[in-house]
Amino acid sequence: MPKFSVDPELIRQLADILNQTGLGEIEYAEGERRIRVARPAVTQVASAAAPMAPAAAPAAAAAEPGAPPANAVTAPMVGTVYVAPEPGSTPFVRVGDQVKEGQTLLIIEAMKVMNQIRSPRGGTVTQIFVRDGAPVEYGEPLLVVA
Amino acid sequence: MFEKVLIANRGEIALRIHRACKELGISTVAVHSTADADAMHVRLADESVCIGPPAARESYLNMPAILSAATITGANAIHPGYGFLSENADFAAMVEEHGFTFIGPSPDHIRMMGDKIAAKAAVKSLGIPCVPGSDGPVPDVETALKLAKEIGYPVLTKAAAGGGGKGMKVAKSAAELGEAFKLARSEAQANFGNDTVYIEKYLAKPRHIEIQILADAHGNVVHLGERDCSLQRRHQKVLEESPSPALNDEQRREIGKRVCDALVKLGYRNAGTLEFLYEDGRFYFIEMNTRLQVEHPVTEMVCGLDLVREQIRIAAGAPLPFKQAHVKFQGHAIECRVNAEDPETFRPSPGRIAEYHSPGGLGVRIDSALYSGYRVPPYYDSMVAKLIVHGTSRNEALMRLRRALDEYVIGGIETTLPLHRRIVQANDFVNGDYDIHWLERFVGLKS
Repeated sequence: MPKFSVDPELIRQLADILNQTGLGEIEYAEGERRIRVARPAVTQVASAAAPMAPAAAPAAAAAEPGAPPANAVTAPMVGTVYVAPEPGSTPFVRVGDQVKEGQTLLIIEAMKVMNQIRSPRGGTVTQIFVRDGAPVEYGEPLLVVA
Repeated sequence: MFEKVLIANRGEIALRIHRACKELGISTVAVHSTADADAMHVRLADESVCIGPPAARESYLNMPAILSAATITGANAIHPGYGFLSENADFAAMVEEHGFTFIGPSPDHIRMMGDKIAAKAAVKSLGIPCVPGSDGPVPDVETALKLAKEIGYPVLTKAAAGGGGKGMKVAKSAAELGEAFKLARSEAQANFGNDTVYIEKYLAKPRHIEIQILADAHGNVVHLGERDCSLQRRHQKVLEESPSPALNDEQRREIGKRVCDALVKLGYRNAGTLEFLYEDGRFYFIEMNTRLQVEHPVTEMVCGLDLVREQIRIAAGAPLPFKQAHVKFQGHAIECRVNAEDPETFRPSPGRIAEYHSPGGLGVRIDSALYSGYRVPPYYDSMVAKLIVHGTSRNEALMRLRRALDEYVIGGIETTLPLHRRIVQANDFVNGDYDIHWLERFVGLKS
């Protein structure tokens, strides 16, 4: 059985690349070893070989689901978030922007359909919790319009 | 073999699927409604995705949400469990169109067996005995009366798109048929959005005996014996056992062979159960379930197999690791379905589990997602646990079941445990002498 050792330096490099490029996920394979580093806060080390090889790093728990912050806009569906109308174009909103009720804040793509997520009220965008390309579940806080 | 499986279900069966996946080294994704955020299988799964609010229509029946969750988690396959989308042919087709493997039969076979008229016609042409009936939809009362005269009263009018005992009305004579026919149609429309009905001979005192099969993608089909599920209330099974007290080895072999021959010709794949009514030594096909069944543990205990594991392996393309000759039936198993209901009125009883202590010891198995402090939500099916026992004989299984029922504690809510404790003391049950009407008479008698 192949010895499977974790290379912390490699993981750190991958994580840095993730942060710098804004990617959601990087998977790196070498022979039978495969490592995937993903956002938001889940890091997994998966062995592609025998299922008996132990997963060396435990998956970090996803954020504890507490109550969403007041005035948070939450995801009405499962999918992938896009912060701009097209890749590379200006984001719909940034922190500090004034928005009107009904204004498009971001897009959630589900099954190749782009769904516009609109602001439920007029106000200021004070926090944005998600990055471009992030997967979201139903009820997940997306941003705060106060 | 799959690396990651998404479990499109909840409760005890989601936990069951999770367990089989883990034992195969497969990662699991639990999709859940907001009401199930604290469910045991959600806590244990490698990843979880909240897919909607409590209502099943917006969560467990929400196909786009489930497919979306599979996409964002990178799942390879989806196990639909039982109920919900497990027999939705459109869902099975969508799963495959999106590049995931559906752990179950082909969409075509799901569709075929979902139409009860088409199912009967299909199995009849493959040599399976059926309940004598109209053999097709019955458009009006006049046709119904003519057919009923040939079949002989009493007759049952049934919804073609039906199931779960809904959309079915008995007529004991020509005088009753007009009303029964019309009522069945409106119930069918209300429950299934389709008022197509057909007519069958109504059997007076049948047993419900079903045959479990497994088929791989390479043309191998085996049967895993029968389950006797005659103890039902309002067409919901309450207790199941295998083998049936009514069958002998030869009958089992004979019906098993006919079923397997038919399914080989059909080209069926994955797990399935053919349900029969059995009366006076004869089998009458009523319907086929193209999925895993609630009561599958009874077969697992008698055959020494993990049916969910076999389903996953079949879906991954592996051939069945055994032939019919290798299948051995050892001892006797009985399963009690424990519902969160008042044991006498059957009023639902959701709420917080105060104390929970499950029975143990040799030959005792609990399939349940309950734990102390868990809140049973009010939005879903009321079954919260399955207690299954196995013994070397029916008598031993019975003694074990009584002992296990006496140990079982589920506090804070009402459950049907007291009903089960009464059933296992009843003479008729002890003698194996019951039919599909027995339980309703038994609960009607209780003061």
